[in-house]
Order: sequence, then structure tokens, then C-alpha cells
Amino acid sequence: MKNFIANTKVRGLALAAIAVFLIVAPLVSSPFMNYQLSLVAVYAVAILGLNIVMGYAGQVSLGQSAFLGLGAYVAAYGILNDWPIVLVFVLSCLIPALVGMLVALFAVRLRGIALAMVTISLPIIGVPLAKRFSEFTGGSQGTTVSWLDAPDWSGLASDQWRYYIVFAIAVVLFIFGRNLTKGRIGRAFGIVRTNEAVAMSMGISSYRYKVLAFTVASMFGGAAGFLYIGIVQYTSPETMSFHNSINMVVAMVIGGSASIIGTVLGAAYFVFLPAISGQIDPTQTALISGVVLLVILFLLPHGLVSLPRRLIQLIARARQKLNRAENAGPEDAGPAQNETGPVSAHTTTDVSESHPESPSKNT
Amino acid sequence: MAYFIQLIVEGLATGSIYGALALAIVLVNRSTGMINFAQGAMAVLATFVAYALTESGTPLLVAIVVAFVFAFLSGAVVERVIVRKFEGGDPDTAVVVTIGLLTLFTGIAAAFFGYEPHPFPSLFPAESIDILGVFISLRSLGTIIVLLLVMVLLQSLFRVTKMGLAMRAVADNPQSASLSGLPVSRLLMIGWGLAAGLGSIAGVLVAPQLFISPSMLDFALVYALAAAILGGLDSPFGAVIAAWTIGIVENLAGAYVSFIGDDLKIAVPFIMVMIVLAVRPQGLFGRKVVVRV
Repeated sequence: MKNFIANTKVRGLALAAIAVFLIVAPLVSSPFMNYQLSLVAVYAVAILGLNIVMGYAGQVSLGQSAFLGLGAYVAAYGILNDWPIVLVFVLSCLIPALVGMLVALFAVRLRGIALAMVTISLPIIGVPLAKRFSEFTGGSQGTTVSWLDAPDWSGLASDQWRYYIVFAIAVVLFIFGRNLTKGRIGRAFGIVRTNEAVAMSMGISSYRYKVLAFTVASMFGGAAGFLYIGIVQYTSPETMSFHNSINMVVAMVIGGSASIIGTVLGAAYFVFLPAISGQIDPTQTALISGVVLLVILFLLPHGLVSLPRRLIQLIARARQKLNRAENAGPEDAGPAQNETGPVSAHTTTDVSESHPESPSKNT
Repeated sequence: MAYFIQLIVEGLATGSIYGALALAIVLVNRSTGMINFAQGAMAVLATFVAYALTESGTPLLVAIVVAFVFAFLSGAVVERVIVRKFEGGDPDTAVVVTIGLLTLFTGIAAAFFGYEPHPFPSLFPAESIDILGVFISLRSLGTIIVLLLVMVLLQSLFRVTKMGLAMRAVADNPQSASLSGLPVSRLLMIGWGLAAGLGSIAGVLVAPQLFISPSMLDFALVYALAAAILGGLDSPFGAVIAAWTIGIVENLAGAYVSFIGDDLKIAVPFIMVMIVLAVRPQGLFGRKVVVRV
């Protein structure tokens, strides 16, 4: 079963199937559904940034919404002033990245709670600042931008056109993020997360890599802000609010930290949970979200992405138990046998299963 | 001058509310080494219990006592049932667990009472007294006095009673505490319970002013965290001093620095925290933690 999933051919087929689904989906579903799917792509990019700094590099960040909001404001301002679109995109990535780097230069000397504190103050300071500089941001009312309408030659509706643009950019960013985390830098992040002393002894400056992780995370946040303006066409100080940050952290953990697929699952959760629970009863959204998060933390500490692996594990364990029960049979029902039997079986299964249980988060 | 003093007293009063929550955060941190982001949300739920009781005609003081007991029990249960599994584990996971609790408790309050703010009766009369030309509201004065009382009680609990000594021992070294026969599990539950009780006091004090709603204490919590970190996470005294400083500085900066004004004054304490942490990462009154590799 495990080999079946690891098989590259199967994986290639699955990727192709997903790609076909993503290309066909906007043509057959409603504009609202396309809007929701595009939002998933937007938040997937933001949560990918969060995952790079928090999941891969192990530094708590509760400030991602500030970078999302900043990127959205830069994008909105650039578009309203008719700047070239490529320049707008580059700026809405670079300006948040620069801000993130400046904050990180001093913040990463702190760890754990103090770092959480500094990062949570970014959205808290950002919201009144955005209201204050109303000539750039439109104050509390926010700014509306109408752009990115489908050109005539495409024959698409605007929601479909925006969906394709946003997905194309998101896919490119995801490939970038995946290569970053799988390569040399990703390995350096991993060692900085697990043991800084070891990182130092290998000649890896944990300071530099933490700053790098924050910078990349803010850049992804800014890029997500640009995409947000593409889909929502509107931003206000509310986009920055720290509830948004906290919900993104929750979504990231539910999806699976230090995992690219987990990031996408988290983004889907982030967008669809309020939509689904809103249909039942909007006042219950927070309750459901809290229960889901705690259940996941108890049962699936590695997030939704580890669900198949965990199920396989549980099935294997159950099967082993069943086999043992059959083998033990009625003939050797002696008390001594019964006492040692299950105990040894338990320890052996645990040892054999600790290997696939990836090295992540075992610190 | 009178206006200046009034600003300081108001600042002390808001600072006292942050202080009560900050004390709760320090208490949890000292007993279990965690930061409870749900401290505010748990306090709000307890305050809602008091609200429901006063709505059904119970006297306010009785309602507040019931809310305190409710908070104590809920804190102890949360520690035993949910938090216990994550103690001493990965600190990042611990942060996420308490964020989950924050969402959960906000959700419970919202499911029962909705998101609209409700008025809440005040313990203190809405009058001001005139002391040498300075008008000071009884509510501010009362809030400050309650916090002082709480601080003295807490300090004497830890310094004078046997249970306080045991709790300090558990915070210092759970293994040896357990080897010397202390009921570590029960003491941890009491620590969380007391913290939640403290939170409920902050909730009841602030509810008349802010009106009660599930997200009432979200900002107060962030201020309290700032105070706890500024004061050093292991120092209750430092936390209260820091909370007062935050309250006063915020009020003065909002009133006298025209660029800051009423809208940006929220940024002041956080910039303060950033500067202090850049210079002294362990906080103003905290002890430096040395890690042996």
C-alpha cells in the first residue's frame, strides 16, 4: 500500500488528474464557486509563506496577515495609478519582503513567546496605520479596484479569467516554494528548527537563515496580497486584522505543518469552513473551528496531510492484532503466554512504525 | 494639571485590567511553562456566566462569585483534559493548542450569546469624586483597588501558605517535586484554575465599560501579553508594573502627542515592547534563562 502511493507513475497520474480538474473546474462551476476556489489559491500562497517560516524553519509568526494586507494595499495603489502590472506585482512582493526582513533582523534574536509577541504586534500596529494613511489606503472604508476583466478574445467570464490568472501565479509560486524547501536552504531550515547548536557546528548561521525564512514568508504574504486584490478587488484594514493571522496559523496546522500538500489542504479549510458552517449557523463557525483544531492536534499531530499514512498505520496494527489473535488460538491460552504476548507485539509494531513517521516535529 | 492627573488615573485603571490578565498569564507560565492565548476568551465565558445570572435576577456580587468558581473549574478541567498532553512538549505546538482553545472558548460564548455586545452592570457607582480639583471616577478607583488586593492575595498565597510553596516547587522542578511526594497533577490544575479565576475578575471589571461580547478581551489579552513579556514572564510584580506603565504611557501619548492621537495609541505599547526586547530579551524584571547544550 505504501509502495503504491510512493510509486512515481501513480503520483504523476494523480498530479495530471488534479491539473485537469483545476483546468476544467471553472468552466463548469458557478461564479461563486470559482471565487471560492480562487480564494483557496490566494490563501494557499499566504499560508505557504507562513509554513516556510513556522513549519519548516520553526519560528512562530502571528503576523502573516500584516504582509497580506500590505501587499494588497501596494497592489491596489499601483493599479489605481496605472503602473505597469509587472512592476505592481514585483513591488507588492518586494515591499512586504523588505518590511519583513527589517522586523526579522532584530526579532529573530528572540524565540518562542517573545517572537510570537513581536509578530502579533505587526497586524495590531498595521490596522490603525492603514486607517491613518487614508490617501494611500482609503482609510476604514478601504479601496476598491476594478481590473482584471476577461479580454474579449478569451471568450471567458471575468471570474473564470481571474481564476486562471491567480492559479497560474500560485502554481509558479508553489513550485518555487517547493524547490526552496526541498533544497539546500530547506535542509538548513530543518536543522535550524531542530537544533541551533548543531546548525552552528555545521557552519549554518541560524540567524541568517531565520531572517531569510521571515523574508521569504513576507514575500509570499505580499504576493498573496496581490492575488487577493485580483480576486476580491477590494481591501480594507480588516484584511490585516490579527484574527486573520491566527486563523491562518490554525489552518496551517490543520492542513499539516512543513508540508506543501498540507498547505493546500489548510487553505481549503480556511476558505471552505466559514462557507460551510455559515450555511448551518454562522455563530457556530468559531466553535466548530476550535473543536476541529483540538481534535486534529490530539489525533493527527501532523495535520490532515498525514491522514492516509495514519489510517494505513492503524489498519496494519489492527490486522497484526487480528493475526495474533488467530495464531494464539485456543491451544495456548496459558496465562503466562497471554501476559507477554500482547506487550511484545505492541513494542515491535511501535518500533517498526516509527520510521515512516517522518523526522519532522519529533523534537 | 488636573487633566494630566486624571489621565494618569485612567491609565492606571485600564492598566489594572491588563494587569489582572497579565497576572493570570504569568501564573500559567510559572506553573506549566506555557503562554495561554485563551486566557482572555476563558475570562469572557466566565463573565457571560455572570451576565446570564444577573439577567435572571441574581444579585451582581453573587453572580461574580459564581463566575469566579466557574472560571476556576473550567481552567482546571481544561488543564487536565486538554493541555496536559502538550505540557513539556514542543513550545510551538503549545502555542497552537492555546490558540485552538481561544477559538473554542470564543465559539462557545458566541454559540450561546451571539456576537452583539450586551450591557453589563458595574460593581461601582458611575460617579466621580472631586479630590483637590481632580475628578476621578469611582470605577477607576475601584478597579485599581481590586487589582492591588488581588496582587497582595496572590503574593501572600505564594509566599506564606504551604500550597503556594508547593506550587512554586512544581514550577521550579516537576520531577523532584513529584519525588518529594507533592501532588503535581492537582497543583497544575489549581494553577490553571487560579489563573482562569483571575481572568474572570478582569472580565467582570472591564465588561461594564466595553459591553460584553465574545471578543471583548481580545485586545486586552494582547496588551496583557505585552505587559507579561515586558515585565518578564516569571515576575508577577514586574507584570503589574509593566501593565500600569502601558496603561499610563498609552493614555498620555494619545492625549499629548498629536501625531499619535486616539487611533494610533494602541501602537505605543507594542513599539515599547519591541524596543525593550531588542535591548533586554528577558524583559525588564525577568531572569535570563541559560540553556545548557
